[in-house]
Amino acid sequence: MSIDVVLDGLFSGAAYALVALGLAVVFQPTRIMNFAQGEALVLGAAVSYQVVALWKLGWLVALVMVVATSIVLGLLMERLVILPVRLSGSRYAWIIATLAVALVFQSLFTLAYIDVPALRPAPMIGGQVSFLGNHIDWQELLTILAALAVMIAYDLFLRRSAYGQAVRAASHSADTAVLMGIPVQRVVMMSFVIGAVITALAGLFVAPVIFVAPASGLLFTIKGFTAAVIGGVGSPRGALLGGFLVGLLDTVVRSAISGTAGNFAVFAALAVILVVFPSGLFGKPMEAH
Amino acid sequence: MRRIALPHRSGSPASTLVRVRSAALSTLAAAVIVVLLLWPRITDYYSYNATYYNGIVASAAIAAILTVSLNLCMGYGGMLSMMQTALQLVGGYGVAIAVVKMGWSWLLGLAIAIVVGTLLSVLVLLVSLRATYLYFGMITLAADLIVVEVGRSADPLTGGVVGIAGITPTVGGTVIPKNQFYYLVLALLAGTYVVQRNFVRSGAGRAAMAVRESTDTASAMGIRPATTKLLVFGVAGGIGGLAGGLYALQMGFVNPDVGLLDNGLIFFVGLFLGGIGTLVGPLIGVGIIAVIVELIRGYARYTTLILGLVLLAAIMLIPAGIVGSWRSSRIGRDPTGPTDEDEAPGDVPATVPPVAAPAGVAALEGVGLMKFFGGVRAVDGIDVRIMPGTVHGIIGPNGSGKSTLVACLTRYHPLNAGEVRVFGRPAPRAPYAVAAAGVTRVFQAPHLFERVSVLDNVLTGMRMRERYTWAGAVVRTPGYRRQDRAERAEAMELLRFAGLGSRASWPASALSHGQKRLLEVVRAVATRPRALILDEPATGLTPTELAALARLCRALRDRGLAVVLIEHNVDFVMGLCDEITVIESGKVIERGVPEHVRRSPAVLEAYLGRPDLLEEAS
Repeated sequence: MSIDVVLDGLFSGAAYALVALGLAVVFQPTRIMNFAQGEALVLGAAVSYQVVALWKLGWLVALVMVVATSIVLGLLMERLVILPVRLSGSRYAWIIATLAVALVFQSLFTLAYIDVPALRPAPMIGGQVSFLGNHIDWQELLTILAALAVMIAYDLFLRRSAYGQAVRAASHSADTAVLMGIPVQRVVMMSFVIGAVITALAGLFVAPVIFVAPASGLLFTIKGFTAAVIGGVGSPRGALLGGFLVGLLDTVVRSAISGTAGNFAVFAALAVILVVFPSGLFGKPMEAH
Repeated sequence: MRRIALPHRSGSPASTLVRVRSAALSTLAAAVIVVLLLWPRITDYYSYNATYYNGIVASAAIAAILTVSLNLCMGYGGMLSMMQTALQLVGGYGVAIAVVKMGWSWLLGLAIAIVVGTLLSVLVLLVSLRATYLYFGMITLAADLIVVEVGRSADPLTGGVVGIAGITPTVGGTVIPKNQFYYLVLALLAGTYVVQRNFVRSGAGRAAMAVRESTDTASAMGIRPATTKLLVFGVAGGIGGLAGGLYALQMGFVNPDVGLLDNGLIFFVGLFLGGIGTLVGPLIGVGIIAVIVELIRGYARYTTLILGLVLLAAIMLIPAGIVGSWRSSRIGRDPTGPTDEDEAPGDVPATVPPVAAPAGVAALEGVGLMKFFGGVRAVDGIDVRIMPGTVHGIIGPNGSGKSTLVACLTRYHPLNAGEVRVFGRPAPRAPYAVAAAGVTRVFQAPHLFERVSVLDNVLTGMRMRERYTWAGAVVRTPGYRRQDRAERAEAMELLRFAGLGSRASWPASALSHGQKRLLEVVRAVATRPRALILDEPATGLTPTELAALARLCRALRDRGLAVVLIEHNVDFVMGLCDEITVIESGKVIERGVPEHVRRSPAVLEAYLGRPDLLEEAS
């Protein structure tokens, strides 16, 4: 196994880590596993493709546009998911709602980019950088660094800011948090927005390198979910570690055996970890949802 | 769940409504069935494209079979399943490999499909028994993904990404005409519906719903959660495999994409649109989706979008689905019928048999019980002996360890030290086995199965005694019918005793607090216990209900049961108990007859903090 494979694994792992972080951000105050999370990644890829490849406007515009549209997406998702959960008493409401939202956005992306197999803009910084005698795309390095930066920023935000404390309180008990005067509804809305922005940024960074089809949101959700489970659902640091592990596993198996074996290894790892460690490798036990 | 014919006064508006409604619904159902039966002729007459329209209905029927399977898992079993499409895929492979690769009969292929589906379900359930709700769903998701990946890569067997084509049902070398296959699919759909209905309405189905609501409560009824889940999930898996086999025969091919979760969304939509946890909901939901998909056929690229929006709208507007919303609508709901508020409680039914116990052996005995939570010694070396034919009170201040003691005696908590004996024998380890040994507990907080009827709650308590198998229940053997009738009669008798006879068909959630407590006691009595543990049953009861409870306890004692009463209501305990054990800080501080305990300085100190009050009080 060459160092190339490891770097590739870390790169795709960074994408999964950001999706996992998005999932964790939404999960913490709501206890909802958002199956539509991967759609934010597709949105990021689609907007950057639109701006950079079709409108030729440059990456700064793309960044601004991605952040703006993903905020709207987060707000929309919050309404579309939380409203059904509140209105219906069913214990399955959240999964049906998030799956339905995933379905709706997936078909919207597919309709908008019906002839586009992959949303692939040009890289932000072309060319390669030499690293330990190997070459790595600038884009890949940039993505890994960006993932680390986002992760550290969110961790600080969660620990240092009043909002972070509110999130942690709401994740323990939404009812008690309301009694303590924490605006849980606003916390939930913010979480959806932050989760969507983080995941969309992942789309923005990885789109130039990996294959993001308009309909691939669900696949990214599942890979991100695997990362989140490995890291322990609801823990941002675990999400980072889980993401990198998933990426490495996927890429290493892929290069060692075959293309489909990579997916298989990831899903098998998910099953094994869920069965053997029902609360994730690094996570605290989560009560029955 | 099940509607029970109530004695309506004939001619009252309510009974007229029920009659008109059931006539209308039966007519509608009959009309739908007739149309489905004549469908090939209708399409043949009116359309040049009859095969296409027959195929739509057949495909919808197959989808309905799979949705019934999903309904059994999620609606009745309470298990989030995202692997129904994987079941469809393995069922399809089963038929495809049997027919195309092996050259066997397609009937054998269908049988293989059912077996393979069952095996996959059983396997997934067995490895994930410890997983809770959300994680269980995720394991099924992982299983689905793995099945698809295996299908893609196991090329020699499954045909890889391309799949297997040319699957046709043949009889004696000739291919069965699509028309005849259509009727076969309809017949299997009807059969699946009957299996679902009979299963759900039998003791096996009630056990599944009990486990869905609370594994703890189900265990207290002697229901084994793991076996129950395994049965439901296995049956659902078999049905899913059948649907997959039919799918392959209908389409003529199978490939790994059949197993993709995206394709499974249509079953979720159908289930939630029609009504999850209802018998006809899946059929109605799938039917409506088939109509929608056909109507927007010209805009096929918008199908996913529209289905997604329909699902979102449905879950907001009719959260209980079409059937659920109909049931709670003004026309659809059952009239409650006259309730007799002053229903005079009768005598304790003769159905509670006298307990024959060997003399001198304690019904329930704890020796040196210890239970620590971290540093807290909640139960710290308690010895307790409860004799048959007595009412034994356990009292103590809040936090003294009473409920922990009950949990230890019934094995809900593993012990740190000590031994529990039931009629002289060491108690089994699992809570459900303790219940099976004859020790039934009633929890401190209400633990009813809120969503099922009052009668079904009582019937659930009889699960341990049911001797029929689930298969016997599904085909409704004479033995099953006999036992079912006897159980219902006995349950009604118990309910009448508790003054709940006229509320038998109500959902348990509609009862008042006191009625719920009584119902719980009645349900516990229905398990025919030899020792009955009641944890604070008197809390929140009215004087009338208290009197009924006291009468019941005495009657059970006279029949030879050991009744354990954990209570705060001192008057109630003192008047009722033959023996009292007082607990404080996890230790027994006093035991004896009520009069002795009342005068004990230790007890007074524990409750009031001042031993000198004994002198002042007297």
